[in-house]
Amino acid sequence: MLDVVQTPLKSLIARRRPGYTLEAPFYTSPQILQTDLDLIFGHHWIYVGVEPDVPEPGDVMVVDIGANSVLIVRDDDLGVKAFHNVCRHRGARLVHEPKTTVGNLVCGYHQWTYNLEGKLVHADHMGKDFDPGCHGLKPVHLRSLAGLLFICLSDDPPADFDEMAAVMTPYIAPHDIANCKVIHQSDLIELGNWKLTMENNRECYHCSANHPELTIPLFAYGFGFSPDSVDETELKQAQRYEQMVCDLGAQWEADGLPSREVDRLDDMVTGYRTQRLPIDRDGESQTIDTKVASKKLLGQFTNSKLGGLSFWTQPNSWHHFMSDHIVTFSVIPLDAERTLLRTKWLVHKDAVEGVDYDLENVIGVWVATNDQDGTLVGWAQAGARSQAYEPGPYSPYTEMLVDKFCNWYIGRLNALLPR
Amino acid sequence: MGHPDPVAPHLAQGLAPWNADEDDILVCRQVRAETADVKSFIFAARTPRLFHYRPGQFLTFDFEIGGETVNRCYTISSAPTRPHLVSITVKRVPGGPVSNWLHDHMAPGREIRATGPMGEFSTSTHPAPKYLFLSGGSGITPLMSMARSHHDLALPVDITFVHSARSPADIIFRDELDLMGRNLPGFRAISICEADSPGERWGGFRGRLSLDALSVIAPDFRTREIFTCGPAPYMAAVRGILGQAGFDMDRYHEESFDFGTLTGAEDTATAVAVAAPGLSYRVEFTKSRRVIDCPADKHILDAAREAGMRLPSSCTKGLCGTCKSKIVSGKVEMKHAGGIRQREIDMGLALICCSKPLGDLVIER
Repeated sequence: MLDVVQTPLKSLIARRRPGYTLEAPFYTSPQILQTDLDLIFGHHWIYVGVEPDVPEPGDVMVVDIGANSVLIVRDDDLGVKAFHNVCRHRGARLVHEPKTTVGNLVCGYHQWTYNLEGKLVHADHMGKDFDPGCHGLKPVHLRSLAGLLFICLSDDPPADFDEMAAVMTPYIAPHDIANCKVIHQSDLIELGNWKLTMENNRECYHCSANHPELTIPLFAYGFGFSPDSVDETELKQAQRYEQMVCDLGAQWEADGLPSREVDRLDDMVTGYRTQRLPIDRDGESQTIDTKVASKKLLGQFTNSKLGGLSFWTQPNSWHHFMSDHIVTFSVIPLDAERTLLRTKWLVHKDAVEGVDYDLENVIGVWVATNDQDGTLVGWAQAGARSQAYEPGPYSPYTEMLVDKFCNWYIGRLNALLPR
Repeated sequence: MGHPDPVAPHLAQGLAPWNADEDDILVCRQVRAETADVKSFIFAARTPRLFHYRPGQFLTFDFEIGGETVNRCYTISSAPTRPHLVSITVKRVPGGPVSNWLHDHMAPGREIRATGPMGEFSTSTHPAPKYLFLSGGSGITPLMSMARSHHDLALPVDITFVHSARSPADIIFRDELDLMGRNLPGFRAISICEADSPGERWGGFRGRLSLDALSVIAPDFRTREIFTCGPAPYMAAVRGILGQAGFDMDRYHEESFDFGTLTGAEDTATAVAVAAPGLSYRVEFTKSRRVIDCPADKHILDAAREAGMRLPSSCTKGLCGTCKSKIVSGKVEMKHAGGIRQREIDMGLALICCSKPLGDLVIER
């Protein structure tokens, strides 16, 4: 009887094996992708960009998530607001460019005009009985976490965002996102399900073989290793890394920079993790020579050796904050087997290209790394389509965070699916 | 003998008034930092002169910026009761060509061309027994001139001055407002802040001006003559509050704080607005290859429509931006309602539904 009343998705959820990859339909089924859009991307805080994406009053950014298009605007009081990008007249999309600047928000179809508060301020030919007050733009919940913009499409957004924000603000605020500018954005379409993009991000098992650039600044040991699988040299490296975590961490904390690990990846609705990770060699930045790529340090920093503060959120983002620049990543599904990875690079707003920084040097490591990761995700997707695919085991030493991502995902689907 | 007294020439008897028709050059005497992004620029005539003006009036300056002459009007923040100098107080606007130029380049000794004073926004023009001054941000300047005048004359006054600022660190003339409050029994200055500043928790009124806040601060506001100056959205909000309260708008006066963005200014007589009646300009449209005459007191869109042209437009109130056009040459006077950004105006765009010609024009339409 039970099998008859359960939907296939519920069965898949019920028989998910912890510590193992998900079953193939989670990576290939258009129906499950639609459920992901409805329940995961429709009910959680989704990272979409940074305050410097809309630095001045009238600046607008458009973010599309599934069928929903959202406007993010800077208003005249310098606040940031989000609205559905849908005219209240006949539903036409209001803004078509990814970024633009407007006086008011005007629908190109019949010139219904909304101010930056979303209020309808002009609509011709609608007669005396028409009440513009009932036809304002529909707001979308938006929160800025020290300058990182998260939206929630649900009317009832997860309340534990505040808990995350309270913990994370002291970590992120010193990097002073408000006084940064976005110097480059890349929109990479990976040929894989969004969960494969996320899973790939949550481990560094693949790093040494695939990321020649990233593994210059980054220690793969930061994400764990099996003591049985490393030789003496590697073990020494790992011990050196552990010592650096200890010594540098204490020094950063003493300097007022929170650094220690917090991991709430699968025990909160708004799951997240953070840690300030040591950087190898010169220890300054995620660059090919591990030195700062921008001479203008962020915020009030005078010390360039601040490692890389990493911040991961469920379901769709990760971020690296260095002393000189910031890299942020947003993951948005396009369909079951294609995913948008949107990367933004930020430096101090007063840094001048060619004088204080060389663009290629700032973005080099992550442009190369993203490209390599895109290939790996494509391989995983191709394999998931095969009849031979079956869930395989995660490494208990290097893939714990992948497992936590899947735990969170399955847990959230289970909680939100109609009974 | 010895050193000559530098003050004496300025206090000489029978000092002539400054007259822009005779000498329109002012010399910067001093630059004062009022807040992190607001500075006062203090000017004198080239030879000692006295400045006569009504508190609340403005001067029109010719700025030479990047090889171009840019006209801007700034209300005077100093008081005519201290006539030897005249000052303006300017907030740095991101991307604002003139405010940034002033902040970055105006320095003691530098000369600038100015005409005026002009304007009807003054307690002298609308005398009343009780005043309510409402200001937002750098819109404080004309009201400061009025307040300083009343203070300096030490006559009995009844003035409530409510200033809205982003944070306590952004309250312009904060110490001086406090001082005037201590000196004058009938003068009350209250600030409203939206947020704390990094160095100070704000213990006063928080948020924005609202009917509730106003009713607490000045319960008798309906009996006062009201003068308002600030950014366009601020003044729109004030009009909304007073409308809600049923205030008699005959006793309401407002001034756009920056004549570069003439917005919703109702009770302002500006230099550019006083065009001679009957004057008309030639307006050429490049794309439609039409040339029309546009009277100086008519909106360009109206003139074009009357001439049979069908140009894109919708709200005709400066709101929607549908009629946004590039002004290829010539200058216009524009009173928009939010349909265009200052950055666009700086790029030479204008809303022709709410723009009047100030000379012959070529418009890309």
